[in-house]
Amino acid sequence: MNRYLILEDGTVLKGIAFGYIGDSYGEIVFTTSMTGYLESITDPSYKNQILTFASPTVANYPLKMGLFESDSIQVSGVVARDAHAKLLIDPSWLYFNNLMEEQKVPGIDVVDTRFLVRKIREKGVMRAYIASSPEVPTSFPDPMDQDVVSKVSCREPYHVKGDSKHKVLFIDVGAKKSLLRELSKLADLYVVPYNFNFEKIDYDYDSIFISNGPGDPSHSSLSKVTEFIRKRSDDSHIYGVCLGHQIISLALGGRTVKMKFGHRGSNHAVTDSNRIFITTHNHGYAVNGDSLENTGLIVTQWDINDRSVEMVRHNDKPIFSVQYHPEASPGPRDARWFFEDIKKDLEAR
Amino acid sequence: MPLDKSIKKVLVIGSGPVVIGQAAEFDYAGSQACLSLREEGIEVVLLNSNPATIQTDHSVADRIYIEPISVEAVERIIVKEKVDSILPTMGGQTALNLALKMKREGIFEKYPVRVIGTSIETIDTAEDREKFHKLMLDINEPVAPSARLTRSNFEEEIPKLDIYPLIVRTSFSLGGSGGKILRTREELSVLANEFFRVYPEEVLELEKSLEGIMEIEYEVIRDNAGNCITICNMENLDPMGVHTGESIVVTPSQTMSDQEYHNLRDSAIKVISSLGIRGACNIQFALNQETEEYYIVEVNPRTSRSSALASKASGYPIARTSSKIAVGYNLTEIINPITKNTYAAFEPSLDYITVKIPRWPFDKFEVERKIGVQMKSIGEVMGIGRTFEEAFFKAIASLETKESQALRLTVSDEKLRELIRTPSDLRIYAIMEALLRKWSPEEVSNLSRYAIYFTEKLKNVTDRLAELSTGVMPENLRELKYTGIPDSLISAFTGIRETEIYRERERQDVFPAYKAIDTCSGEFFAETPYLYSTYDQENEFLNMDRKKETVVVLGSGPNRISQGLEFDYGSVKAVLKLRESGYRTVMVNSNPETVSTDFDVSDVLYFEPLSLEHICNIIKRESPCRIIIQFSGQTGQNLAMQIREIFGDEVILGTSPQSIEAIEDRKKFAEALMEYGIKQPEFVTVTNMQEAVDAIERTPLPVIVRSSFIIGGRAMDIINEKEEVYGRVAALLQERPGFPVLLSRYVEDAIEIDVDFVSDGKNFVISGICVHIEEAGTHSGDATMTLSPDSPDRKTRERIRELVSSFVAKYKLIGFSNLQLAVKGNDIFVIELNSRASRSLPFVSKATGLDWISAGIDAMLTGTLKARKEAEPKSYFVKIPAFPFNRFLDLDAILGPEMKSTGEGMTAGRTLEEALGKALKMMNVRMPSKGSVVVSISDKDKDQLLEIARYFSKLGHKLVATPGTRHFLRENGLEAEVIYKMEDVREPRIDQYISENRPDLIINTPNSRSGSIKDGYQIRKLAIRKNIPLITNLKLAEAFVQTLKAGEKWDFREIREYWDAQ
Repeated sequence: MNRYLILEDGTVLKGIAFGYIGDSYGEIVFTTSMTGYLESITDPSYKNQILTFASPTVANYPLKMGLFESDSIQVSGVVARDAHAKLLIDPSWLYFNNLMEEQKVPGIDVVDTRFLVRKIREKGVMRAYIASSPEVPTSFPDPMDQDVVSKVSCREPYHVKGDSKHKVLFIDVGAKKSLLRELSKLADLYVVPYNFNFEKIDYDYDSIFISNGPGDPSHSSLSKVTEFIRKRSDDSHIYGVCLGHQIISLALGGRTVKMKFGHRGSNHAVTDSNRIFITTHNHGYAVNGDSLENTGLIVTQWDINDRSVEMVRHNDKPIFSVQYHPEASPGPRDARWFFEDIKKDLEAR
Repeated sequence: MPLDKSIKKVLVIGSGPVVIGQAAEFDYAGSQACLSLREEGIEVVLLNSNPATIQTDHSVADRIYIEPISVEAVERIIVKEKVDSILPTMGGQTALNLALKMKREGIFEKYPVRVIGTSIETIDTAEDREKFHKLMLDINEPVAPSARLTRSNFEEEIPKLDIYPLIVRTSFSLGGSGGKILRTREELSVLANEFFRVYPEEVLELEKSLEGIMEIEYEVIRDNAGNCITICNMENLDPMGVHTGESIVVTPSQTMSDQEYHNLRDSAIKVISSLGIRGACNIQFALNQETEEYYIVEVNPRTSRSSALASKASGYPIARTSSKIAVGYNLTEIINPITKNTYAAFEPSLDYITVKIPRWPFDKFEVERKIGVQMKSIGEVMGIGRTFEEAFFKAIASLETKESQALRLTVSDEKLRELIRTPSDLRIYAIMEALLRKWSPEEVSNLSRYAIYFTEKLKNVTDRLAELSTGVMPENLRELKYTGIPDSLISAFTGIRETEIYRERERQDVFPAYKAIDTCSGEFFAETPYLYSTYDQENEFLNMDRKKETVVVLGSGPNRISQGLEFDYGSVKAVLKLRESGYRTVMVNSNPETVSTDFDVSDVLYFEPLSLEHICNIIKRESPCRIIIQFSGQTGQNLAMQIREIFGDEVILGTSPQSIEAIEDRKKFAEALMEYGIKQPEFVTVTNMQEAVDAIERTPLPVIVRSSFIIGGRAMDIINEKEEVYGRVAALLQERPGFPVLLSRYVEDAIEIDVDFVSDGKNFVISGICVHIEEAGTHSGDATMTLSPDSPDRKTRERIRELVSSFVAKYKLIGFSNLQLAVKGNDIFVIELNSRASRSLPFVSKATGLDWISAGIDAMLTGTLKARKEAEPKSYFVKIPAFPFNRFLDLDAILGPEMKSTGEGMTAGRTLEEALGKALKMMNVRMPSKGSVVVSISDKDKDQLLEIARYFSKLGHKLVATPGTRHFLRENGLEAEVIYKMEDVREPRIDQYISENRPDLIINTPNSRSGSIKDGYQIRKLAIRKNIPLITNLKLAEAFVQTLKAGEKWDFREIREYWDAQ
């Protein structure tokens, strides 16, 4: 069945439908990761985004070999060049198509995804429809101009039992399961949603961790979290990843900027000018390095190519955070030391 | 760390002649290394004995020593050149072994030189199986469990062992052969008991067998700061048990999950870091996807064949980056030259698939086609596409073999099942044949143990192919092309000519788009136009500046017997010349190992099959353009007429397709020679016994009898007896009915000569005249040949000029040509004329020091030959073939009219003896002061033997001979010990003697009597297996004696010194 991908700039690409047969809308982005299709589409950071796989073959190994990074598919749609989703006999493969169907996520296959990647690179991220007709709609509202975090943050606080020597307040703004898994190895966690009433915390934490998540860190829906971090920055150990990292920078007085087409992939090198780490990135916003002047935060790592801020550390407080994904999944695990650093910091208290 | 300023002059060690397992990939790695060092202002001194590589050209290295790769040579170079550093990781195992040997011989203490890049200690640890295993245990990384049984411990050890199935090897059968798989404790127990009863002193090596599970490689780079990145991984379609060089390989991995990918990546980084590699290396894993267990198979602490493949597959210049690290840089300081916008510190992301398929020599050698842990392939092709199907079938289309062109196998279902189960070059065709017969992908996967993903993908194609019918142009051409089906297969399945299919595509406007390989999946803007075709929407145009005229140069495809690196040298030189002359150059090739497919050689690179389809697509896209086919070996010659059919006369530069056809058609050519009154050896082809009887009676003896295919174990030698001719022809006709047998009169005692010349259709200049040492009858690619100031004589040279002149005029030869002649007394016989660059052209260029390629290119472009001065060599040069006999013990080591060598070496000297002495040393023919020499030769050769035998006898060597030869020697006053033929009841028999006494030299010439044929074959096989120097030609033996007499008074010189007058 034919399917169309319609971009904000009027570009219409014809493809073949897989997964759910229905229309969808979102911000179109691309990832250059070559493995981990399941990890990617279930990553809450992709909420309200249509994900294009630059790697032409998708679902080329059975679904059961991947990991769910949340309970459901988070992307609004999947664009592929050669998805092995509808093909043939292996039941575990068929399941990928079923999963997409079940969760009402449409896919569009046989698309010139490289063309799409190059277009996004040139024009920046765009809004897009996956539709059954090639007609270009008149309006393309901003899919990210809403409280996206509400769709991925947990509803109620819950407790993850761990090493009770250390107690961490884990603010879930769209956390990947891998991140929770890594943190739970280090400490006892109390996981709270983004809209939690931080005034009434019934948990005796000593450190705060803010997770990854989707959307604009300066969106009004996150102001409560930001405000809370600002207040706690004098007396708590604070760590963050991805959206959490951006929230920390905002809380301490920095600014964030929307990037042209972001970093999404598993091959980005970050450096501290001596060592490099190949890391997984998934961010459309970045902390503005200059804005950190007078905040006490120091940029300690940056992307080797565009020099965007990838890690900050406070010059005299136990606060540090990274823009990329040390928990990997998908992607390389070069930055696992981040969790070691947290462990050391927890123990140094 | 920036550039280490103390490094000023580096000696780069090359890999020597192309042999199986060490081929053109080091041409690529070594050249890229040299260029990248020079970019830093470092002077590069090169030692490499291979004339066919562009590496031994002054455009690549500053100072070049084309000398034997030996400690002696290196020592002399260190002294002469005052080099401060040595880079041994760019020349394969040859260079690594040399570095290890230099260390053992104390060279590094003796001279102020050091190894840059990965250290000798690291190389040693990675190469030494025991040390490596110990290190892996120390860092807790898994290797296949192993054990060692001796007579004293086996009874105690066996009950404790649980590593089944296991491979057992005896201590005297190590090295890939003789391994046996055991599945139970009982089997092991029985074997060990029996073994130690017979061989109480020996040991049994046991290792868990990893056969059948997935094999993966990672290409890794580590810098001086300890930063470690993986360039890409490579998934072998053939499971463990098939050498990765023999396997079909896909990049990036297709059937591994993210977890698996990164488990192995983590392990790779851990292993490489613990070894302390500085630069590029390669690590191989065996992965069991069911149990999630993996094992480290091995680490190559250097650039390797896989590095070349990874480099071309990912676009990442591995050898270049590795060289920069060797001189001090870190990954954070090196710019990625493909994008020019990003750093070398990143891991490539691929938005396409590449498939590599090995190229085996089974079209030339009739030998066992099973493949396994030993390499048998000589080259490889890579296909690139946006789907597995597209990439795979481009690779198939690049192979140029009978099977790859027809695809179908006519075998029974039972036989087919066997072919799928057993690894061989035919397995992939058997898989497709089964799918064409509608076997299910599961069944095919179960039999082959190929991942089902791949068999399903192949089924997408075979389903479409099965729909095609003879004589019907498919209506769904666009769909077929999108599915990845080459025109050649549409042609094979419909019987419609490829040119017709092209025209139909033209009518329907079915053409591919071209996309760039940019290392980053399009994330960053890349400037380098490294392109492949696909039937996608967007066509990318990079470097389409048309202010300059465009010339397309065809490469020569995969390395194979008779079409190797020599042609790539020519293509690269041609491109350099064209660029220098202001042309926009376009390169087309499908060989991932070569320099021509390096991203920065040409202005635009199309990594595509050299098939009519792709060449035409490219000509159309690049139009207006002209094309050079003279560096693509037979490939281009075969396509010339079809290219002309589509694009007309003007498009091909150089000799016209009509002339090519007139020369290539043996019958037409022979008639033309007759018409011109030019002599040629008489020949006749027969296809049945009736014709044969007539032909044999008419053809004067001796004759050369050859089938269209060489028969293993039987020398294609020169036959002197009529009865023998009958027998041989009858046998060949019976074995291969329908295949013609060629009988050609053998010009006895003739000398064969290779003439290379360039011409413009009227004028010509001879670039080199090479004289074979072996008498005529040995293929020119297999002959040892010399280029010297005094041979052939003036008169012969004059007559050669006359011949060349008449050919240039008759065929309007433009560009490069090669003429093969047999000279006997006053008679000159023409054997062959080729209107393209020859295999000997690089050798000739390096011996004369003149840029023949530029001269020829200029003649093609301008129509006027400017170079008029014939080469006058000032020194003596020898070209020596390298043979694959140690890889094919079932291939007879005798030389004949069918080519067997894989590559060549070159030596030079002030005297012929100096050059020959070095050559023989390279051929491993050496003579210790005392020892025995076995001689077994045919009657006709006996007179020639005498002087040789006398010489060895005088030196105190013991002569050992078969009764006939011994009798002859005694008659002439020489004592010899006797050995008997193999079927004799008396002892010692010849095979026994060789096995037990390890003589120092065997001189064996083929004998036509049947018993001797078999003996000769066995003797040569034994010599190769035991690594005993073997001479199969008395002319070469004579030369050997001459050089021994002269003694080893050699010097090693920069190649320019040989060009200058003495």
